[in-house]
Amino acid sequence: MADTLIEVNCITKDYEMGSAGVFKALKGISLKVEKGEFVAIMGASGSGKSTLLHILGCLDTPTSGSYHLEGVPVHTLSPDSLAEVRNSKIGFVFQSFYLLPRANALENVELPLIYAKIPPSVRKRRAMEAISFLGLQDHINHLPNQLSGGQRQQIAIARALVNNPSLIMADEPTGNLDSVTSQRIMELLKQLNDFGNTLILVTHEPDIAAYAKRLIKIKDGLIISDEIMKRG
Amino acid sequence: MASSSLKKEEVYGLWGTFVELLKVSLRAITASKMRSFLTVLGIIIGVLAVVTVLSIIQGIFSSFFAEFETMGSDTMFIRPNYEMFKSHSEGIRRLKMTYEDALSVEQNVSDVKEVAPFLMSSDQISYRGKKDSTQIIGTTEKYLSINNLGLDNGRFLSPVDVLTRRKVCVIGRDIIDKLALPEQCLGEEIQIGRGTYIIIGIQEKRGGSFGQSQDDIIYIPLTAGIQQYGIAVSNQVFMVVKVKDVKKMDDSVDRISSQLRKQHGLKFGQEDDFKIFTMEQLRTMIKQFTSISTMVITAIVSITLIVGGIGIMNIMLVSVTERTREIGIRMAVGAKSKHILYQFLLESVTLSTLGGIIGVICGWGLSHLIVFILRKSVSETFPGAYIPFWIVLLSLAFAALTGAVFGVYPAYKASKLDPIEALRYE
Repeated sequence: MADTLIEVNCITKDYEMGSAGVFKALKGISLKVEKGEFVAIMGASGSGKSTLLHILGCLDTPTSGSYHLEGVPVHTLSPDSLAEVRNSKIGFVFQSFYLLPRANALENVELPLIYAKIPPSVRKRRAMEAISFLGLQDHINHLPNQLSGGQRQQIAIARALVNNPSLIMADEPTGNLDSVTSQRIMELLKQLNDFGNTLILVTHEPDIAAYAKRLIKIKDGLIISDEIMKRG
Repeated sequence: MASSSLKKEEVYGLWGTFVELLKVSLRAITASKMRSFLTVLGIIIGVLAVVTVLSIIQGIFSSFFAEFETMGSDTMFIRPNYEMFKSHSEGIRRLKMTYEDALSVEQNVSDVKEVAPFLMSSDQISYRGKKDSTQIIGTTEKYLSINNLGLDNGRFLSPVDVLTRRKVCVIGRDIIDKLALPEQCLGEEIQIGRGTYIIIGIQEKRGGSFGQSQDDIIYIPLTAGIQQYGIAVSNQVFMVVKVKDVKKMDDSVDRISSQLRKQHGLKFGQEDDFKIFTMEQLRTMIKQFTSISTMVITAIVSITLIVGGIGIMNIMLVSVTERTREIGIRMAVGAKSKHILYQFLLESVTLSTLGGIIGVICGWGLSHLIVFILRKSVSETFPGAYIPFWIVLLSLAFAALTGAVFGVYPAYKASKLDPIEALRYE
């Protein structure tokens, strides 16, 4: 019980579509994720997987149902409190990296720590540690456009790790990368999981999802399968 | 222990967040320098206009009114009636007021307690090779008491000095610095224009009134001044008159007026060729002058606020739209709406304050340029521009305020963005 990280109970998400009525993106999803899991969420586009990711990532709130993250009922929180949760508990890795274009690699990694009010000296040290872990210490002064796609995603991963989150959310992390780099990034994420980090991966590619230990398939806003995968 | 470390973090939270945000603002502003410059052009021009107008007005103000500031309400000031002529210089050429006029008023009008005639000029001064220039007042012993001046050292001009045109002078405190005079400078000889004068007294420090130093001045005997500066200056003798009874001020003005008309041989119906200002009138003039310039400045500042502010709001809205993705990223990693609000608010305040600083510098330059041109073309004695510190502060405060007021809406808009939509924004 103490090891439960995510407990989602029958959440729905409706979008008002104006005259077209209401679009039900999620139609009642219940889900439990223990600490240390590596979960892949798969589904076609429009299946509701992105909506689920946004809700699990505290970027959005469900229309109904409950969501407890480490016991905190996040479905009841205000936008500012959700920002605090995202800052302290969640690290994001996105398909398009989402680095600040005018900030160098180090500053990008420091970003979450700024909002966590960590003093500059500590911030810099921790950001350096995260970057060194990913082997990019020679690139700290480079701007995102001076880095390769793989390096950018590594910086984004460093940013996701820097505040020691309970949960790392990866949204199509290899979508903009070639297959060799994709493999490297996925190995990296797997390694993070081996170190004890909880990961949730959203993808539509089966060979990417294959890196996870548990696979949840979504279709039309409902979970259609949830299985533990054998590692090959 | 825990609470003290928490406190430290909170302190960092306030000041540190501000520094972070300032860095981000400066980066955003310098990332597109030309655009930032054009954005604040409205503010720059506005502040430039305010500073230029104010500094020139202040210059005129201080040189014109400073002399009368210490005089009591039982005094009046008489000068030639320049308004009779189209231009001031024509007035100077055709009008005449002399030392003899002053003497006749003092001797023939019984209401008058004393008269201090004086002429004004500016001249080169030097001492042992060190050269400078200053304002010269040629006057009599009466000037000291009527203007409530004090001396630090030595004595003021005496009746004998005036009678015998003795080449002696009383100097203001600033002259000691200007000419690098020794502290014990009584008895030293300095060069004033063509003449050599002995220092007999040092005026007590008066400080600046209306900004201009009243210690940058030299007093010489009126008669010596008439001799040295010739007819052009000695026909333009002003006078300060002190009456015996302040309650009979109006009567005294009439009597002095008729004495001067007689002295100038004016016929009945002819206009006075002189003008009398009582201290009351002068104070009213100063007040009017102040309120008019305040109105003009308020108008300029208001236009600046609106024009400059609209420019800033416009570009900040564009900037918020352009940086929607950035806002989304910041929100995703934990920025609260207030962080985003402060970031964009601080950016517009920084932008407008930078504009204000540029405006002050340009205004300083422009006002000096205008004075330089006026001195070359109109009159060499045109008062120098003067920018008091409060104008600088006021301009910057208004610039910052403009940024704050017109930055609120774009910043608010940014802070209310939905993180998901902001992230998806292309």
